[in-house]
Amino acid sequence: MGQAGFTSMHKVVTVEMEKDILAENRHLADHNRALLDEHGIKGFDFLGAIGSGKTLIIEKLVDRLKSKGKRAAAIAGDVSGDDDYQRFVSHGIPAANINTGKECHLDAHLVDHALDDLPLEDLDYLFIENVGNLVCPVDFPVGSHARVVVISVTEGDDMVRKHPAIFAFSDVIVINKVDLAQAMEVDPRILERDAKRINPGAKIIMMDARRGEGMDELVSALGL
Amino acid sequence: MHEFSVMSQMIEGIIEESKKWNATKVEEVILELGEFTMLGEEQLRFAYEVLTKDNILKGSKLTIVPVKGAIECDCGFKGDMSPSEDTPHRSVPILECPKCGNLARIVGGRECTVKNLRVVVPDV
Repeated sequence: MGQAGFTSMHKVVTVEMEKDILAENRHLADHNRALLDEHGIKGFDFLGAIGSGKTLIIEKLVDRLKSKGKRAAAIAGDVSGDDDYQRFVSHGIPAANINTGKECHLDAHLVDHALDDLPLEDLDYLFIENVGNLVCPVDFPVGSHARVVVISVTEGDDMVRKHPAIFAFSDVIVINKVDLAQAMEVDPRILERDAKRINPGAKIIMMDARRGEGMDELVSALGL
Repeated sequence: MHEFSVMSQMIEGIIEESKKWNATKVEEVILELGEFTMLGEEQLRFAYEVLTKDNILKGSKLTIVPVKGAIECDCGFKGDMSPSEDTPHRSVPILECPKCGNLARIVGGRECTVKNLRVVVPDV
């Protein structure tokens, strides 16, 4: 208790609190990662713009892993609906659906609950697809081993400069739909240059997920 | 966009803490806010106003202390992020070391910490 104020009945005191809400989420994320480690599971979370191709990329990765005899699961995070969840389930993998309702991002707490619904003892890999949003998920790691951010050329060549933080806090940066670059009159090299400057440590992958271009690079970047 | 839920968690923690001290009123909340968080000061203040209408925090003051973002590099560089040409209005976490160009680490600016409370307690 700190310095006292005045009056005979009451006094004003300064109380030290030191409570960091964002740090609490980070601790819970560490706990999720430890749980995955305990089961020998590698976890990846996919962040990115709405419609940038996150779900399709995870679907393709899941199929690749299956052909190698590896077992994957996925968590679909969306504000509402189960469209992505159904897509994951159609690949014959265990999946969990998180509807955030009013929240703009997944957090470690929501993912912690989703982990309860997955057969962790039977898995090698877990993919966590965050809500399509380049702002809010930045503050809330969920406990994966690597973060992948996906953008596409259809969002314009200024997307990295407009949302720098998410690129700084990711390990792999996917620039998707490069096949549409010419039609969109967008130069993907501008996105690449901006991303490199913000995060020289990240792996940057040019991709056309629909046709599988760049998928080998992603597989190797993630160590799959 | 998530200032409201973050603030609501903070207020819950503050109410809990003030109960521990048998406080009858919270007069001031001192919050440290890192510039690399995606939390807006205006939105936090608005959420605070709404969320403190009917509880022990009613009428209290929210003091926000900004914390500069900082990076550190193996080459020895340590410093604040200065606004760059393409982002002149705010600081963004550019991890390219301005001295050697290698990858730097963030060492400050991600905080959202309720540091101190000023509370009214019975004088016994």
